[in-house]
Amino acid sequence: MSQKKIITHHDVLCPFCGTLCDDLEVDVADNEVVEMRNSCQIGTKKFFSSNPSGHRYLKPQIKEKGSFRDATWDEALDKAADILLKAKRPLLYGFSSTECEAQNVGVELAEYLRAILDNTASVCHGPSLLAIQDVGAPLSTLGEYKNRADLVIFWGSNPVHAHPRHLSRYSDYVRGYFRKDGRNDRFIVVVDPRKTHTAQIADLYIQVKPNEDYELLNAIRAVLRGVELDAKEVSGVPMEEIKKLVEILKKCHFGVIFFGMGLTQSVSHHRNVDTAICLTRELNDHTKFLLTPMRGHYNVAGANQVFTWTTGYAYSIDFSRGYGRYNPGEFSSVDLLMKDEVDATLIVASDPASNFPAGAVRNMFKHPIIAIEPHHTPTSVYADVILPPAFAGIECEGTAYRMDKVPLRLRKVKEAPEECLPDREILERLLEKVKEKEGK
Amino acid sequence: MIMAEVKLKLKKKPKFPLEADSITPDNFAGKTLNEIKKLPLYHARDLVTIGDFFDVSGKAEDVANTKIIIDGDVSNVKRVGEKMTGGEIIINSDVGMHVGNTMSGGKILVKGNADDWAGAMLQGGELEIEGNAGHYVGSAYRGFWQGMQNGVIRVKGSVGNESMLWAKSSKPSNKWPTLYCGSASSFLGLHNHGGTMVVEGDADRCIGADQSRGTIVIKGKISRLLPSFKKLDDVNEITLPNGEIITGKFAQYSGDHSISKETAGRLYIAIK
Repeated sequence: MSQKKIITHHDVLCPFCGTLCDDLEVDVADNEVVEMRNSCQIGTKKFFSSNPSGHRYLKPQIKEKGSFRDATWDEALDKAADILLKAKRPLLYGFSSTECEAQNVGVELAEYLRAILDNTASVCHGPSLLAIQDVGAPLSTLGEYKNRADLVIFWGSNPVHAHPRHLSRYSDYVRGYFRKDGRNDRFIVVVDPRKTHTAQIADLYIQVKPNEDYELLNAIRAVLRGVELDAKEVSGVPMEEIKKLVEILKKCHFGVIFFGMGLTQSVSHHRNVDTAICLTRELNDHTKFLLTPMRGHYNVAGANQVFTWTTGYAYSIDFSRGYGRYNPGEFSSVDLLMKDEVDATLIVASDPASNFPAGAVRNMFKHPIIAIEPHHTPTSVYADVILPPAFAGIECEGTAYRMDKVPLRLRKVKEAPEECLPDREILERLLEKVKEKEGK
Repeated sequence: MIMAEVKLKLKKKPKFPLEADSITPDNFAGKTLNEIKKLPLYHARDLVTIGDFFDVSGKAEDVANTKIIIDGDVSNVKRVGEKMTGGEIIINSDVGMHVGNTMSGGKILVKGNADDWAGAMLQGGELEIEGNAGHYVGSAYRGFWQGMQNGVIRVKGSVGNESMLWAKSSKPSNKWPTLYCGSASSFLGLHNHGGTMVVEGDADRCIGADQSRGTIVIKGKISRLLPSFKKLDDVNEITLPNGEIITGKFAQYSGDHSISKETAGRLYIAIK
């Protein structure tokens, strides 16, 4: 029996969630991932999903008469360029699950096409960015929290499921320089309408009524200011408990609020984050306090960084006048699609059909779609052209930003199958094709 | 003196939003009809002209004596009256986003509904909307710490969320940004720094959140008062910063106390 030669890659980055773990060990044999160590369940799944399967696109696809056929890269890029050039208001969306170099080319393509450029922050932590633009934000890198934090608050986030290794690497069980006893040196507070699995391991769980986080944060701020409030209960939380929480906040040495989509995507959106930031700022009158958004996609922070340093804005950018303009609500993907303003879409590393409101998806499907997508997804099956990419961070290198905006280098552990190309190269070739067709 | 009138009639409904920041008395003043027809508009990524989308008739004078009357369904035409400093615009239908944004003088009358950002960052002048207005009426644009700083907005119907965001008054220069509206959604007067808001009917939650100073009068009901507002007393008369007096029985609250223990912010809610 022949033994397959196993190559082990050490210190591999995980291109799944914003925690961007950098200590994975991946065994590869015959260009297939065969074993993973240190990774969580979702990260492991992503590495295994790069192995050959019936779900992966291996050649460019063009839809003809309702079904896909294999095409050459030249044919597929030609058709994609035609779609983009014919459209009057094309949308380029996604970008959060690919590397920064590809995002950079995406910006160039959007500017050249005078298109709308948006990333998944638009339906995720975009509200956090809006709030930060209004009131600033006291942020830090995750290493600081690991070494110093003795009070950790998870507000509207559930890392046990969404960022499984966050707790053991940065925020809860990990032993830090000043927190030598790990979990015993930290006090964990969870604020959530549901008693999540994170809430079950917390020292204090506060059950807030759904969509009333704003009022609770507002009351905490007032109590912190020393105001005796008229209310006996706020958002389902008794005033006694609020006062107790304020004492805990004031007495810690180093506190941090990790907030998730429970704040950004419930009613009041960016205003929840606005008031949470104001609370954090005010707590610094008493002790050291910081906050950090729990970013979802592994490189959504990178998408915001790249878009900002190239255009000045983090997401929802309209290039229709030749220069970038920014206004979420007016130029954000969901709003544009709901109003049926978009007449062609290029999706890069994202699956909006699974995540956008039905009305937006229906309007998106009315017009041509180009998908740069490795797998069969609800978006890709409705696409007109599919351009198959290599997995960034598994089959090609690149840069990604962790949730605390620390850039890290993604690793390559195996070759991309058949004709798959890195996102960056696909976008570069598409841009070249578009320029060629315009005669420039 | 009777104002010179320029009439614009929409020829065809734009497929994409038409950006019409060139439609202001300032841009029309002193121009012939042919010159007005050549002023630029943006339709998606195409640069077009007013003549492509509108029939233009009438005559323009200097800024203060030019009145623009717009007919046809311009509900998808954005930025009408942007940065205008004088004159008048009458819109005989619904209008798109950003109507009258950053205007500093003159008057705009919208006979239908207005979309979001109506009168955003108003610096002066008067904006009247006979129907409803969308979100962010008289608000600051993203990231600005000073929103509406002077002028008056009157909305007969409702205003959407976060209206009068970051409004800012100035006593030395006698600037009192004021909004009158029929009813209001949540977060009216958020981060208010001296703006005045009078709501004839009901208002939703989080009114006056993070208000450091300013006056908000609600003549109807409020769906949920923020916990950080404290009741002071009952009053029978309210004097607005612009000198106007409102009579009636109101409960006076101070807030928002999440900003500070003492605050000059006031919220009045009618007692029925």
